Parts: sequence; structure tokens; C-alpha cells
Amino acid sequence: MQVILPDKTVVTRGDDPVPIESILHDLGILPASVIVLKNGKVVPEDVIASGDDQIRIIRIAHGG
Amino acid sequence: MVEADRCSFCQEPAVIRGREQAERWCASHLAVHLEDRVREHIRENSLVSPGDHIAVALSGGKDSTALLLILTLLIPEWKEVSITAITVDEGIAEYRDETIESAVSITRHLGIRHHIISFPDLFGADLDTLIRRSGSGERACTICGVLRRKALAEAARMIGATKIATGHNLDDEAQSVLMNVLRGDLVRLVQDSSSGEPDCFIPRIKPLARITEKEVVAYLFVRDSYSELPECPYAGSALRSEIRSMLGRLEYRHPGTREALLRSQAAIRKQGGPPASSEGVRRCGRCGTLCNSEICQACRILESLGP
Repeated sequence: MQVILPDKTVVTRGDDPVPIESILHDLGILPASVIVLKNGKVVPEDVIASGDDQIRIIRIAHGG
Repeated sequence: MVEADRCSFCQEPAVIRGREQAERWCASHLAVHLEDRVREHIRENSLVSPGDHIAVALSGGKDSTALLLILTLLIPEWKEVSITAITVDEGIAEYRDETIESAVSITRHLGIRHHIISFPDLFGADLDTLIRRSGSGERACTICGVLRRKALAEAARMIGATKIATGHNLDDEAQSVLMNVLRGDLVRLVQDSSSGEPDCFIPRIKPLARITEKEVVAYLFVRDSYSELPECPYAGSALRSEIRSMLGRLEYRHPGTREALLRSQAAIRKQGGPPASSEGVRRCGRCGTLCNSEICQACRILESLGP
């Protein structure tokens, strides 16, 4: 599966089913600081991703 | 049993889960849930009164956009209440132009009156110039915060507003409590700007103060109003940035930390003595605006930066 990070870089991961929260944990990202899109739809972080899923992580905390 | 990816109320796909993970909301239930919580917070704290003209501080960023969307929905429920959006253009290169475009677009879409006021108009220079004069970006957020508050108050006065609504969310509020504690700033810790005390200041209300930052962004997604905007180039230098990360980690490991901080603040306020009176209020010796000292904070900052 493809994981698009907040800075738009793309990371490829294995296809095994995994909760998105675990992906965030591996990347050192706090779930509360991001919104996660699975195949273009906003989802809770404990949703499972696998196979050809595309996960996009959007950072929500901005100054200003 | 509710599936992880389904709404607790209708079995549509969930977009967010509650902190205790027992509840999940789909797009439509999340929108209603958040709008209800804002309505309740406004009612419980009497933030809006009949006849109010609310100046909504609209930076064009996520919080103020969500605030404007929700207030626009709630306005018909209140007697003779009107709103005008106010945008302060500080003049921050490669940042503010995009957010102002976003502010203009949302006010046009909602049919809301919009007033833009700029730092050069009020203070003779934009923020980038003022920061260059200060010689370092370290004071950027302090300088910007003080001048932006003054600009907002000035614009609110010009349009005859009776309240100023800002988009501060639960995370912002908890961060502020911690920042004031760490700075030893007890005055700011106990200050309640929503009261308008002393009575010569325009009350500032925070209708999103019980909504988390994450809920705000999820709301914008479900209302199809989210746009990815650049980050303020000065944000990284702020103490708030460090507090935000620290509090984020604490909240993750100890859910409820943010609310606990706000409860502490409320308890301290109760012990903090009577509200400020208008006796200590005077006019700034430089600009004539109402303040608590001989020269207002904004004029002190501008003088420290030189011509």
C-alpha cells in the first residue's frame, strides 16, 4: 500500500492488513495531530488498511 | 457490536471516533454533533444575546472558517443577531495572501459582510518589516499577537460590533492555560475576556472552545470546506509550538488532559477575586485606545521596534 506523508513524500508498505494507527505509530505521528484519508475518504485511525489502499496523512496543527 | 469503520448511529462509514472509542460518527452525524455542541456551549455560557452584532475574526484558516460556517447556521435561531467577518492582513509573504483569498471566497459563498484591515493601514508597516526591525523572528508571535488583537478590536469598533468571536478550539485553550502557567502569567490565566470586563472593552467569545482541533478539521472535510493552506512561516519559533507537541503527547497517553487544564483554570478563576473594574482603565498616551497602563502594549511594541 501507498502512504502519503504530510510533506507529500510517498512511502510504500507491505500489503498485509494493519490498523492505520499502527502505521502512524511506526512513523512517530500522533493520531490527534493528523487527519487520515483512506482511498480519498476521511476515516478513524483504527480502520484497517491493506493491499492497494492509498493512505494520505494530513497534518492539522498550523500556526496563525 | 459496532464495526470499526461504521457510524454508531446509522452504520454509514465513520469519519472520526470519540476519545473513549465507544462512539464513531459518519459525515452527517459528525456535522450535527459538532453544531449541537457549539450551540450548547454558546447557550450555557450566554455568549450571544439578542441584538448582538458579532464580528467574526476570519483569518481564512481552518478554525475561523469552521466558526463562520457554524455561526452562519446558528444565526437564524437567535433574535436580531447579525455577523460581519473581519480579516486582519498582517502582511506575511507567501502565507497571508492565500488565506485571505480563502476568507474572501467563504464570505462570498455564505453571503456574509466582510471587512479587511491591514497592518500597514494601522501601524504603517507590515509584519515582515516589523520582524526585520526587531532583528529576530523569536518575538514574531508576540508582536503579531498583540498587534492583531489591536487591529481586530479597532475593526470591530469601526463596524459597531458588540462581540468579537474567535475560532480558538479546545487544543488552543488548553495550550494557553499551560503557556500562562509556564510564564507565571497569573493575570492572563484568570482573565476571562468573554465577560467584556472592564465593561468598556468589546467581549471576546470563543464558540469552538470545547471542540478539538481534529474535530474542527474533520468538520471542514465533511462540509466540503477544507483547503490545504500554507503554514505561517513564524509559527515554528513560538513557545506555543513546543507546548502543542507536548500537550499532544500527554493527551494521547492520558486522555482528558486538555479538559483537566481548562477545569483547573476555571477553579483558579473562581478563587481569583472580583473581576477587573473599569477604574484602572485609561487611554493610551500614544494612540488613545483604552488600556490598563499609560501606554498600550501595541504602542510599546511599535516604539521598541523604532521608526
